Amino acid sequence: MNERQPLGGGNAMISVGLLMLACLVAITLFGTLIAPYNPSATGADSLAGPSAAHWLGTDSIGRDLLSRLIVGGRTTLLITFVAVTLAVCGGLALGLFCGYVGGLADQVVMRILDVVFAFPVFLLAIAVVAALGPSVPNLILTIAIVYTPRLARVVRGPVLSVKRWDHVEAARSVGVSEFNIATRHVLPLIVSPVLVETSLTLAQTIFTVTALSFLGLGPPPPDPNWGAMLSEARQFMELAPLAVIGPATAIVFATLTFIVLANGLRERLDVASR
Amino acid sequence: MRRLVLIRLAWMLPILLGVSVVAFVLMRALPGDFAQASAGTTELAPEALNIIRRDLGLDQPVWEQYLRWLAQLLKGDFGDSFTTHKPVLGELLPRLAVTAELTLMAGLMAMALGASSGLASARLRGRTDWLVRGVNGLFLAVPNFVVATLIVLLAGLYFPEVGIFNYTPFLTDPLGNLGSLLLPAFSLALAVSVTISENTRAAVLEVSSQDFVMVARAKGLRPHTILWQYLVRNALTPVITVTGLQLASLLGGSILIETIFTIPGMGQYLFDSVSSRNYPVVQAIVLVAASIVLFVNVLVDVAYARVDARVSYE
Amino acid sequence: MSAPAALLQVRGLTAQFNRGDVASQVVKGISFDIGVGESVGFVGESGCGKSVTARALMRLAPEGSSVAWGGTVLFKGQDLLQVNERVMQDIRGRRIAMVFQDPMSSLNPVLTVGAQIEDIVRRHTGASASQARQRSVELLDLVGIRDAARRADDYPHQFSGGMRQRVLIAIAVSCQPDLLIADEPTTALDVTVQAQILRLLMRLRRELGMALMLITHDFGVIAGMVDRVHVMLDGSIVETGSVDALFANPQQAYTQALLAAVPRLDMAERLV
Repeated sequence: MNERQPLGGGNAMISVGLLMLACLVAITLFGTLIAPYNPSATGADSLAGPSAAHWLGTDSIGRDLLSRLIVGGRTTLLITFVAVTLAVCGGLALGLFCGYVGGLADQVVMRILDVVFAFPVFLLAIAVVAALGPSVPNLILTIAIVYTPRLARVVRGPVLSVKRWDHVEAARSVGVSEFNIATRHVLPLIVSPVLVETSLTLAQTIFTVTALSFLGLGPPPPDPNWGAMLSEARQFMELAPLAVIGPATAIVFATLTFIVLANGLRERLDVASR
Repeated sequence: MRRLVLIRLAWMLPILLGVSVVAFVLMRALPGDFAQASAGTTELAPEALNIIRRDLGLDQPVWEQYLRWLAQLLKGDFGDSFTTHKPVLGELLPRLAVTAELTLMAGLMAMALGASSGLASARLRGRTDWLVRGVNGLFLAVPNFVVATLIVLLAGLYFPEVGIFNYTPFLTDPLGNLGSLLLPAFSLALAVSVTISENTRAAVLEVSSQDFVMVARAKGLRPHTILWQYLVRNALTPVITVTGLQLASLLGGSILIETIFTIPGMGQYLFDSVSSRNYPVVQAIVLVAASIVLFVNVLVDVAYARVDARVSYE
Repeated sequence: MSAPAALLQVRGLTAQFNRGDVASQVVKGISFDIGVGESVGFVGESGCGKSVTARALMRLAPEGSSVAWGGTVLFKGQDLLQVNERVMQDIRGRRIAMVFQDPMSSLNPVLTVGAQIEDIVRRHTGASASQARQRSVELLDLVGIRDAARRADDYPHQFSGGMRQRVLIAIAVSCQPDLLIADEPTTALDVTVQAQILRLLMRLRRELGMALMLITHDFGVIAGMVDRVHVMLDGSIVETGSVDALFANPQQAYTQALLAAVPRLDMAERLV
């Protein structure tokens, strides 16, 4: 109960997290430029070990693993960022609506969302992708659909509780506009939990995207992506362990980025709000 | 108490209904032809397709189709598999049993790992605390299928004689069955154990600061009595409920683990069916999985309420 | 009348709390004696260090903070601040016992009240399960819980605040300690129940011959309960005397203020 974490802990984690995030963003934006080779080029010897020409070696049909890793990261991360942005927008809209309007509309929407919550996230994602067919837009849509309810729930909570606060009632009775109330009282309360939940959602989305691609439900070839690379590598993993370790490390790095950010934000923002 | 249970179960019904609607819509409202899919890869002439459509009731209005489907469902008829043309339920049940076993094992492992590390972290503090929390953070970042793949890689490189893909059914060889599920269950359990660890730690810290623990110390009771009778027994309930709530992610993860370790469970069944557009199977699995998760969540709620009644003060 | 033999001799007791980098001296060097069978009161407002003093006698540091004790606490010849923890565990509950302030949160919610008496009895006397059970029913009866045999199998949430405090008193006196410390035993209870609990404490003290250390912020509680009173302020004892002497002739300004805070029947001026 009295467990003290130095405030520096939160800040340090946020700094580290942001640094890692910067790497990820760089890969997303400039991946195709950074990669030494064309990820689909099959010129080199297959299953070659690491060398000066190919830092991570090559895969079973002679494609450079490092390039595939970088460009694959671009694809994976692009899907992740876009999908989560959509989910956050959707969640904000839905959560604000439910929280503000309240009453019957709120109850109905929440019951509908309960149905979505009943499905294990991954199962739902598989079902939706199976229904719509694997492609980048469908993947983005699926993830947005699956995570919007969770974000909506996070947003709705503070909005509902703030509405009942005495000083908000007082402000309203004195004539302060709803807009002012929304921005001065409600918004600050939402920012922290939404930021934390967004980080967590990003981490979970990396999992969902890579897992779906692992199962073959991700972006169709020839676009490389981490999940598919990991799955392909299983066939020749003893001959080229880097083909497994590469994507594995990349996935862990990306997930870790968002977890560290989430933890750092939680430390920082929780302490500030005490 | 009984009323609470009934209310929670009653709430489950509309949600289950909603789940069934989603499962139905998901499979029927897709691009491509349901009738064609039922025939698999064989190209059929239009007249043959029409006959199939009539058989499957696809020429009727959607809501009528849904009601017919729902009615069949309640009779236990989940339709026939598109690939084997046998009743889905018969194929699903044994696979469900396998997944249940895997999930249960994973859950128990996660609880054992998580609860002990969380307890150690809370009681020993200092370096142990930092170590456990650091390791937890790392484990959380490694998805279960990555863990599984890495395990397979390690085994292949350093222990090639050990068979990993050798799942044996329980009835054939109980011990072998359990052994073959150890590594898969572990891959599933790792990430979940982190959540349990964090929750155990928080629960133990919370309970430690309660007055009755101080009273126990003032009674001169031995530390191990205080640990087990006063701390753990009170911290355990939130831990068990958290584990129950992790069931959803365990079920989801089992799909990946079963695929990697070639275990004939519900997850692998789902994956194969998705690949072969075997829609009745996908529908059934989605339904069953969601229902199980819902049911367990209700159980967890009820269990917590029961304990809470004893714990909450006026 | 000769002074009773000294059961407890405290000399220069200090308590320093360390929270992070901040150290605060909560008890600043106090000395007092408690004789065999004597009853002594400690009065002062919140934060004066009286509860910490009591905890010092049992060497109970609050969970999560680190406390440094100083001085000597001689109990039947042993310095309690120097003995090792295992010896201390033998003394707690057996020779020195404590009743705490909030009965609502002082009992383990998952154990029956009977079990919570039995565990201390078995710990200190090596009684068998059935002997301990018998003893727990006797004790519940002793503290005035009707239908003790049946009630022993009930859980804490099935008892009212006053009843729970009786259970806690039963626990505290179960091994017939030489010294019973009661830290604000009635503060969290309804006024009507307070008198009952105080009377219970007095009766038990008489019957079992225990010394009593009564801690409170309310002078009204002390009257008729103790032989001697120490008034504490900000970590030190500022005045000592018999109850009658203090009531009649308080020396220190603070004592006067404390006394003035107690409404009295014979007050000349009306409050309203």
